[in-house]
Amino acid sequence: MFKKISFLITLIIFAFGFLMTGAVYAEEEISIAMIFPSTIDDMAWSQAMYDGVAKLEDEYNLKISYSENLYDAVQVGSALREYAPNYDIVIAHGAQYQNIVDDVARDFPNTTFAFGTSYNAMHDNVYAYDPNAEEGAYISGVIAAHLTETNIIGIIGPVEAGDAIKYNSGFLQGVKSVNPDIKVNIGYTGSFGDTIAAKQMAESHIDAGADILTGSAQQSVGAIRAAAEKGKLWFSTDIDQSIVAPQAVVASQVLKFEEVVRYMIEARKDGIYGGEHLPMTYANGFLAYEFNEELSHLIDAELEQLVNELIEDFKSGELEIEIE
Amino acid sequence: MTMASYFQIITNMLAVAVALSAPYIFAAIGEMFSQKSGVLNLGVEGIMMLGAFTAFYFSWAYDNILLGIVMAMVVGILMGLLMAIVSITLKADQGISGIGVYMLGWGIASTLFRLFIGGVQSISGLQDLQIPILGQIPYLGKILFQHNIMVYLALLLVPASWYILYKTPWGLKVRAVGTTPRAADTMGINVIKTRYQCVIIGSMLAGLGGAFLSVAQANMFANDLIAGRGFIAIALVYFGRWEPLGVLKGALLFSLANAFQRWFQISGISFPYEITVVFPYVLIIVVLAFSYKKFSEPTALTVPYDREFKG
Repeated sequence: MFKKISFLITLIIFAFGFLMTGAVYAEEEISIAMIFPSTIDDMAWSQAMYDGVAKLEDEYNLKISYSENLYDAVQVGSALREYAPNYDIVIAHGAQYQNIVDDVARDFPNTTFAFGTSYNAMHDNVYAYDPNAEEGAYISGVIAAHLTETNIIGIIGPVEAGDAIKYNSGFLQGVKSVNPDIKVNIGYTGSFGDTIAAKQMAESHIDAGADILTGSAQQSVGAIRAAAEKGKLWFSTDIDQSIVAPQAVVASQVLKFEEVVRYMIEARKDGIYGGEHLPMTYANGFLAYEFNEELSHLIDAELEQLVNELIEDFKSGELEIEIE
Repeated sequence: MTMASYFQIITNMLAVAVALSAPYIFAAIGEMFSQKSGVLNLGVEGIMMLGAFTAFYFSWAYDNILLGIVMAMVVGILMGLLMAIVSITLKADQGISGIGVYMLGWGIASTLFRLFIGGVQSISGLQDLQIPILGQIPYLGKILFQHNIMVYLALLLVPASWYILYKTPWGLKVRAVGTTPRAADTMGINVIKTRYQCVIIGSMLAGLGGAFLSVAQANMFANDLIAGRGFIAIALVYFGRWEPLGVLKGALLFSLANAFQRWFQISGISFPYEITVVFPYVLIIVVLAFSYKKFSEPTALTVPYDREFKG
């Protein structure tokens, strides 16, 4: 009797385990597995990738699996090794996974690995994707400089590293290109996922006079909430966040991961498994800039014209942002 | 900057610090009850997480914040009951069972969030009270009299818990059970029952602390919303030397240090932000190190009570 019960319990635990990791099983043509540092509904970095891959599901008859909330090396390593033999493409969606991808990719030469943000495609079967977050940030900075009335703008940074440095620097330069006298305050929370700390930082910015805010990472939903409650404006990155606060989010820089993954799938058809650094730019169509229609009245024709020109300048390579 | 604008900044910081100390006060006063009776509950973080989710879910789905807060307390009571059964009745190691409760609460909250809400949602949240006359006092009005009702509840909890612990027969029982449980048992005090009561009250308050964070602070729920605040609350109990007033001081100091470090970063003074961000934590550790007195600790803390033990 006890054996039966313990067998049943084990079975249930395993069933739950599979549900949690969201493993989906079906015979399909191309299989993609993903590992996320946060969740697929984080309204930021992870969701941008998940939504992107999901958009290709029907077109390529994809089999999609994913694991969320993986941070430590042991968990990530074992997840990668479990996925690698059974999937065509394995995406480790974070710069922090670099060393583990380096290790696992050597053992599975027929599997395509991808990770980012990084410029370092370590092996012939590894892609390093690399959003030029500073490009859209620059555009947002230009618009913000036109819209601010207090001439004070606040940035809520997660941690001064990687994408956040690029984003903040691009935004700052965009603002200064319009009006060098505008004060841009930066405050870091020291975390990527501390929603409450992000909200408190946003409130501190508002207390200091900021009427426009921006910031990156999944914690930014908290900061957007603060902007919405206090009637201030927000600029998004990674994903269109206007659904969180339709009255606050002016525009969003959108990472087109569906195009990045499409590129990998097409290359695989030609027998190329990786070995390339993939910058994400307006020039290659891996970046997009989207306005929130509800706040379109804030953007006059002149400003819209200016934004379009900036995007064209990025595409032609005329405008390049140096990260300070 | 003029003198007036400095006063304005300091007023803002103090007002924010008072509001933000509330969740720490709830959770830490709760933990204090638990520890006073001899049970170290390390599950506070998980209980807060579950409390935060429950409060948000009922506020969001039924548009009723009061219901949300009450349900968060109910969930806290249930989690406390679990902790009590494992650590008091089954005499499991308190450190381990607390961590178990933490992971359980964290996991259940994240899973239920996915199942029942599934994405970023927000509510208007608990509004600040507009207290007539008192709220109009310059500076002081903003610091003390423009908060939501839960902040006042938290502040009231400090004298109330002091009164209960030091002026009522039950409080005497709690302190006896936490220091000399065998003597208390000899005097006819039910050690097991008293510890159960304290752990359950503590968890209920932790649930309330979590509720504050989701329905009165963030006005939303997100994965890992508590982000270590439950563990800070445990540290504040040690900081406050198991006294309600000490806990209040610790909570205020920590919140004020946090408000200060945010202002410091935003003010644009060139300084490594990494040091600024950890400043409140370092401050707590330093004060703890210099003010720690062994004799104030409940001597039976972390020791399960076994009536038949002849040691």
